[in-house]
Amino acid sequence: MEATASQPIAQRFIGESVKRSEDPRILTGAGNYVDDVQLPGMLHACFTRSPMAHARITSIDISAALEQPGVVAVFTGPQLQELVDPEAVSPGFFGPAPFKYTVLATDKVRLVGDLVAVVVADSRYRAEDAAALIEVDYEDLGPIASAEAAFDSSGTPIFEDLGSNVLTQPTKSSFGDVEAAFAAADRVVTARIRQHRHQNVPMECRGVVADFDPGTGELMVHGSNQGPGLAKMVMVAQLGLEPDKVRVVCGDIGGSFGLKIGTSREEIATALLSKHLGRPVKWIEDRNEHLMASGHAREETLDVEAAVTDQGDILGFKVKMVVDTGAYPGMGGMLGGIVQAMFPGPYSLKGFEFEFSAAVTNKASYVAYRGPWAAETFTREVTVDLIAAELGLDPLEVRRRNIAFQPADNPASMLTGRSLASCTARESLEHMTKVVDIPAFRARQAAARAEGRYLGLGLATYIEAAPGPRGGGGGLGNEAMRMALDEDGTLLVFTAQMPHGQSHETTLAQVAAEEFGVPFESVRVVAGDTDRVPFGFTGGSRSATMAGGASLHTARALRQKVLEASAHLFEADPADLEIVAGQVGVRGVPVSARPLAQVVAEIRGTDGLPEEVDTSFEVTNAYDGGEGGWSGGTHLAIVEVDVETGLVEVERYVVVEDCGKLINPAVVEGQVRGGVAQGIGAVLLERSAYDENAQFLAGTFMDYLLPTAMNVPRIEIHHLETVPLDPDVNFRGVGEGGMIIAPPTLVNAIADALSPFGVRIEEQHLPPLRILELIGALD
Amino acid sequence: MTLGEAVDVALTVNGSRREAQVEARRTLADFLREDLGLTGTHLGCEHGVCGACTVILDGEPVRSCLMFAVQARDATVTTIEGLAVEGVMNNLQEAMRESHGFQCGFCTPGFLMQITAMLADNPNPTEAEIRDTLSGNICRCTGYESILNGVLRAIGADVPGSHQSVP
Repeated sequence: MEATASQPIAQRFIGESVKRSEDPRILTGAGNYVDDVQLPGMLHACFTRSPMAHARITSIDISAALEQPGVVAVFTGPQLQELVDPEAVSPGFFGPAPFKYTVLATDKVRLVGDLVAVVVADSRYRAEDAAALIEVDYEDLGPIASAEAAFDSSGTPIFEDLGSNVLTQPTKSSFGDVEAAFAAADRVVTARIRQHRHQNVPMECRGVVADFDPGTGELMVHGSNQGPGLAKMVMVAQLGLEPDKVRVVCGDIGGSFGLKIGTSREEIATALLSKHLGRPVKWIEDRNEHLMASGHAREETLDVEAAVTDQGDILGFKVKMVVDTGAYPGMGGMLGGIVQAMFPGPYSLKGFEFEFSAAVTNKASYVAYRGPWAAETFTREVTVDLIAAELGLDPLEVRRRNIAFQPADNPASMLTGRSLASCTARESLEHMTKVVDIPAFRARQAAARAEGRYLGLGLATYIEAAPGPRGGGGGLGNEAMRMALDEDGTLLVFTAQMPHGQSHETTLAQVAAEEFGVPFESVRVVAGDTDRVPFGFTGGSRSATMAGGASLHTARALRQKVLEASAHLFEADPADLEIVAGQVGVRGVPVSARPLAQVVAEIRGTDGLPEEVDTSFEVTNAYDGGEGGWSGGTHLAIVEVDVETGLVEVERYVVVEDCGKLINPAVVEGQVRGGVAQGIGAVLLERSAYDENAQFLAGTFMDYLLPTAMNVPRIEIHHLETVPLDPDVNFRGVGEGGMIIAPPTLVNAIADALSPFGVRIEEQHLPPLRILELIGALD
Repeated sequence: MTLGEAVDVALTVNGSRREAQVEARRTLADFLREDLGLTGTHLGCEHGVCGACTVILDGEPVRSCLMFAVQARDATVTTIEGLAVEGVMNNLQEAMRESHGFQCGFCTPGFLMQITAMLADNPNPTEAEIRDTLSGNICRCTGYESILNGVLRAIGADVPGSHQSVP
């Protein structure tokens, strides 16, 4: 139908780089982060932390701290534990912890930075003054500084009721015919692949303001948390409050990358103190505490055997993975299942054997960090290049040979079970060869080498379960959403997502506005309040499909409800009505159009409507993810390694990715670039370093180096946007991919650059000194 | 003067005269955030590396976490709250919005103030000069390209296209 001047035109928002709804406040300093919360009578908490990795507390003297001006309370571990509900079990990552622990250390400390005591004072300055006066004597118990030490049964158990320092005994699974795969191999390529300990480092550290009202018995928690509902559950249990007495709200969150899921011991302590004192208490983590004790990720070793033919066919893998999970419970123990399921990636294998074990050590807890299963992608993609090097083949050709072929009507499956429907790994690889002239690079590389310059090209291919395909690995879960059309025509979107940089206020509004038929500006996305939004959290690259889909389907249902009610007003069949640009009208009759606010008021003001007409103009829905699907792609890096200084410069970085239909290309590209930047940091700069006594060595930004604008090049991004699986929802997540695939891409590029030195790289962290070591420039 | 001693501070912040009595040890950042309620200035590291707390003091970008409020006596300070004019975002802010410059927004105040100070000195920086200036601030979300593009857009320079869809 031709649009005329008087007829509103249906507005399209999906696929446009719509300007962010978040930006007017963020760009003017009007954001509301947890440290911006100031309440009358608010007190400040500061923790005394352990300088020892593993030690018994033999004495603790808080008397000097108690006498400091402005100090309201000082609690040691045993004193604070008395405030915890005796029925409460120690919280773990999504559920109970595998062993018992206390909020503050009661008898012994288990890492450098463990919580020993807490001071509450009328200012942060005075709380810090007093915390520094708490005297603690320790008896060294001998640090367990590595997974190897943890598996040595002579070490002192860090958690007594675990009985040892082994969290998960070696557990083996196999898929396909492993023995046949290895029997058919011409050779077995082996490697010990290591990811080093590094961490999320959001620019905003953790923090909380707990506000217990002794009059009502209600606890209000202002948090910085990817899942306010999860935080609420823990607070309810630990404080022994009724669920209806606890409310968690989050405003703007200054990044997280997986760290701020659930509730930390510090946050529980702060809430306990607020309840005890009957006053609001704020705790804001400082950067030293953050680097030392907020949580770390990735310290993993994977011993790989790859069964290959001389032609480059990869027949199978045997992998033994060991993870150092640090001390207190985090995500480490549950890595095995995900890494195992994802290890085959897009590759066709005949046999796969996987063994997983997890150690407890005197280091910071293993937390989720953007792409927590990335060990498998790193290991597989680096191993593919090692296979190619050993066989004298081109790594690109080895990938071409082994990535599963997928006839359109017959999608392949991973050997570990899940369907590869919608996986376009092969297409992304082929597209990359069109974007980058690899033969021309090889010529340039050879010429540069003749001049003593070392260029390298690396690529790597990945898949990201964002949210993953339906079937073969269980369901996709459900994403709840509530939508309401307000009296003034505003479309209110209550999301279970908890955005912390992902721009959901913009993207979910784009989907809702387009589907419902209102201007983008008429949509208000509400998040981060357990009294108002459905239970949920943001994580796992799920929101594009799950919340995007929920937004689409909920808007559709609400639109239908509005049209059915409007039918009585317009005396027309609902099928003949439409909502376009915020106006309801009879299709094809522009003069009939009336603004939504007017329609709502008129319907609600009409007496004698049939009983079945629902004038609530509100819908709550749960979306099951539809057909789901994979995101994925291929990244390519060209680097130059300075063999005098060991410095690596990323000359060019190219991304070919497929996350289905883009809701907002600028948002997608921001996620991709941010992830790649973190991958560059992981390889070239970042390390949460401990010494052999489990002393922490990276407690400032002078020790823990983050990428700056000088380290991250412009990143070329190409989108495939292929393979619709679902009739409506083909948006897929893109949060983790960059961080998953950039490390192997860069390591492969650096290994390529250094191939004239006969260097074989099996590790992820390649700062200048390590580069120089690898090429034999250091003696 | 002892650290906890109260001292008088008078200065101009975002065009307004402000007077207060603060502890000698109070940082400029805490003074701005807590005493003046200007929470747009953020604390990312409190040891002068990340740059989130950058404000402009007498025309120069400074790390407000590394300064005492008393050191800003009689100075003229501009914070992120001082950029918009009567509630209308300025050219740099609009350019950043257009470029999707930031994500979580925590580093944003420091970048905006650092860039504002740079552009006051050098209204037409090259891309290399912009990168050099940005390199003193840390953003964990974006990989910097969108911030770089925001500066280029603000100065009216060409912004390289990025989004490329293929059939």
